[in-house]
Amino acid sequence: MRINKENPPKWAHRFLLWFLKDELIEEVEGDLLEKFEKEVAKTSRRRARLQYWYQVFNYIRPFALRSDWFAQFMSYAMLQNYLKVAWRNLLRHKMYTSIKIGGFALGITACLLIALFIQDELGFDNHYQQGDRIYRLVNRDDSRGEVTKGTAFQAPIADVLTKDFPEIETVARLVPYDWYNAGSNQFRPLSAAENNHESTFAYADPSLLDILEIDMVYGSVESALAEPNSIVISRKVADKYFPNQDPVGETVILNEKLDEPYKVGGVMEDFPPNVHLKHDFFLTLVGVEFWPGEQTNWCCSNYNTYIRLKPGASASALTPKLLSIRDDYLVPFFRRQNSQGAEEIAQHYSFELQPIRDIHLHSKGIDDHNRHSDIRIVWLFGGIAILILLLAVINFINLSTAKSANRAKEVGLRKVVGSFRSNLIRQFLTESVLFSLLAFVLGLLFASATLPFFNSIAGKSLTIPWTDWRFYPMLTVSLLFVAFLAGLYPSLYLSRFRPIQVLKGSLSLGSKNKRLQGTLVVLQFSISVILIISAFVVSRQMNFILNKELGYEKQQVMILHGTNTLGEQLPTLKEQLLQLSSIRSASASNYLPVSDSKRDANSFWKEGKEQEELGVGAQIWEVDEDYIATLGIQLAEGRNFSKDIASDATALIINRRMAKRMGLENPIGQRVTNGFRPPFTIIGVMEDFHFESMKGRITPLCVELVKDTPASLAVKLEAEQVSDAITEMTAVWDNFLPNQPIRYTFLDERFANMYEGVERTRKIFTGFSLLAIIIACLGLFALSSFMVEQRKKEVSIRKVLGASTVSLFKLLTRYFLQLVGVAFIISMPIGWYLMGKWLEDYTYGIDITWDIFLIAGGITLLIAILTVSFESLKAAIDPPIDNLRTE
Amino acid sequence: MKETKLGEFEEVLLLLVGILHDEAYAFKLAEEFENQTGRSVSIGAVHSTVSRLEKKGFLDSEMSAPSPTRGGRRKRVYSITALGDRVLAESKAFKQSLWDQYPPLSTGNLGFNL
Repeated sequence: MRINKENPPKWAHRFLLWFLKDELIEEVEGDLLEKFEKEVAKTSRRRARLQYWYQVFNYIRPFALRSDWFAQFMSYAMLQNYLKVAWRNLLRHKMYTSIKIGGFALGITACLLIALFIQDELGFDNHYQQGDRIYRLVNRDDSRGEVTKGTAFQAPIADVLTKDFPEIETVARLVPYDWYNAGSNQFRPLSAAENNHESTFAYADPSLLDILEIDMVYGSVESALAEPNSIVISRKVADKYFPNQDPVGETVILNEKLDEPYKVGGVMEDFPPNVHLKHDFFLTLVGVEFWPGEQTNWCCSNYNTYIRLKPGASASALTPKLLSIRDDYLVPFFRRQNSQGAEEIAQHYSFELQPIRDIHLHSKGIDDHNRHSDIRIVWLFGGIAILILLLAVINFINLSTAKSANRAKEVGLRKVVGSFRSNLIRQFLTESVLFSLLAFVLGLLFASATLPFFNSIAGKSLTIPWTDWRFYPMLTVSLLFVAFLAGLYPSLYLSRFRPIQVLKGSLSLGSKNKRLQGTLVVLQFSISVILIISAFVVSRQMNFILNKELGYEKQQVMILHGTNTLGEQLPTLKEQLLQLSSIRSASASNYLPVSDSKRDANSFWKEGKEQEELGVGAQIWEVDEDYIATLGIQLAEGRNFSKDIASDATALIINRRMAKRMGLENPIGQRVTNGFRPPFTIIGVMEDFHFESMKGRITPLCVELVKDTPASLAVKLEAEQVSDAITEMTAVWDNFLPNQPIRYTFLDERFANMYEGVERTRKIFTGFSLLAIIIACLGLFALSSFMVEQRKKEVSIRKVLGASTVSLFKLLTRYFLQLVGVAFIISMPIGWYLMGKWLEDYTYGIDITWDIFLIAGGITLLIAILTVSFESLKAAIDPPIDNLRTE
Repeated sequence: MKETKLGEFEEVLLLLVGILHDEAYAFKLAEEFENQTGRSVSIGAVHSTVSRLEKKGFLDSEMSAPSPTRGGRRKRVYSITALGDRVLAESKAFKQSLWDQYPPLSTGNLGFNL
């Protein structure tokens, strides 16, 4: 006998015995053992064990399987019986059944919608074949103690990246925001007379088409942007302006600038819906120089930069090497300028490479002028989905165990006639699968019915993937998972009954698991209350934002767009508009105090201090002399611009914040400079006003007199005359620009758009907290009516003995209201903490006050009382004889 | 047109049963198959096929006497039946007739040396 005899893996052997026909066992065991011993001798023990598993799996073939293999799980006849009994039970207790299935279906609807949402969010920028090699360049600055990240780089960086770094395959620059012709423009083919407003123009290097793997409908990726003044348009735009033809080579005009025509170099496929950037127009950067020497100057950061690495190159190895750009180009440039900034840059400036797939969800803290989502939203939604499903599962568990009395006799009898506990567990799990199946079908119906509504609040265009084969196995797996989750405890609980006790009727039902039921109800209501508190806080914050004193007046301000095509005629249009009685004042400026408007920033120094001090970054806007009056901005000191004072061409009005940041005690008359233009004289100080989202602090801002023709005209209307004003203004406009339809927006609407994200969060929280409370109440209702049903006789006897209706009502509802109370106490600190976190994002946020909790708690308690009292009240009022005559 | 009733795998296994003779049980058959063809095969696959061949009547089997090598377990040893022999011969003859019609190769030597 050998001592160190190796044995085949025990589990594999067990598994084999489980499915193998009895008559085959001896020979197969022998064969496999021989094989195993041979393998052990030839290779290693580990390999031999693996090999054994492989051989066992290869015996799962029809000839070798036990004929009753499937029946081991469940015989067909038993399954039939289980389903029949389940179905009868389902029909007998219609109310409980509908609550069980309905609540479940609601939970599944919510989960399904959220799963679709999350799938869409995670799928952003996932379609590139070379996706793992495409990166966006990000700069990081940690001076002044805080980290700021941005995506704007200097023009020459593209050449440096290509030349100095052999790991990089391609580089492309992009100007996606409102700058020169990027942004929105009046657009027409040369052959057409009418101008149309089009947006999403961007300047791009030809290589961007290659990096973003854009498919071309006409023209080629290589040539489409290669010529100076070429433009690539999307299929959508091509279909609109050049239906059924190949527009390559056609000339198009932007903003009526006939001396700067663009030639269509290609037509690209429309961008898919889930990419971080979507443009319909790419203007080439080939041959572009925005001012003399711009393309070789390291002064100004205006270009977003995308790169594609060579296969096998590592981004993390490249990142530290990129610092040579700072040391070889940026710092020497600023040293030559004798700028203090050089030292700051040398110490605090660095680069990061952001994978293109991360841009949508992982761009928090990166200032890139893009609207993107946040991975936290994905977590939040995922969390809500799981919580709501949990609520539905709890209902299922509570109702199943509460109703155990009805099934106890069945369990007892089944055991008496020979059923094992495992059979009963199987029976109840089968039942739970049946329930889940019905709930899934209903849930799918609900989801497809509510999807359009969900899309409108989530700002998505999701569809249920009926045609995707992967959808069905996933549904099946989740169905089984949920069925198991919900059915496991009830099946264990129900199958435990002792036949003798049950059949004698001596089992006290429902008392043992009362504590569990209570805990689960508390959990349900805690979740609901937290969601309600959240919905309240988000709502309040939204109201706060919309009604806050902004420092300017956003009501009755209408913005006319596309006025740049008027050229010299703009002042005349303005004059004629002012003649109208419905119009109070008007101001031409591209810069508006809402965040989707044009922006421009410079650094400012006190005159003569450029080399000694750090500059203060400030917005500089071009406005006309009516801007302050039209927007109702308050002047704190000094005076407004005047047309009659020639020196106002170099005058500035600054906001209080800028005066403070620059350390100007008496700003009027002081001179400041941005380093490349003649110094400005400060003539006035404005009160601070919110021109960006309230997530950030009000930043320094100054305004100067406009020189060219702005693309928008802000018009302040007399209150109550909006519709008249529109008709009258349209008439005036059409006299000036018959080929360009009037286009306008309202400032307050654009302001509200800034907070679209908050509004969405509000709606979604409200929706889901409503859903949560509905599901929780369904459960509470069923549970309380079940308890009332059980205690009917007790209530009747008490009544006969003289108990009042009120005291009976109290008796029946007290327990549940206690549970809700406990839930409230638990959820309050959690809700307070979570919403405090959320509000941290807002510099100008509300305080969470006690009344929020009071209202949230009050509402929940009220709903709970209503839910519980329906059946309780009936029981307390019913004449006792109805319940007692059967004894 | 005569039909070969055997698949390639089946035919090879029948031949191997003949070759191995007293040692023709599933494990050995699988091992021999691997040695002869260089292709790996699982014991289950072999077992499933020979049991099918047995059902068709080409093979017969009986349990051997217990031996100490495999924990005292007996093995099922297969032997070829008269029908099996005939099917093999037919299959060979059929192929031979096909080869006879095949344009001769330069070596001219097409012996089946089994």
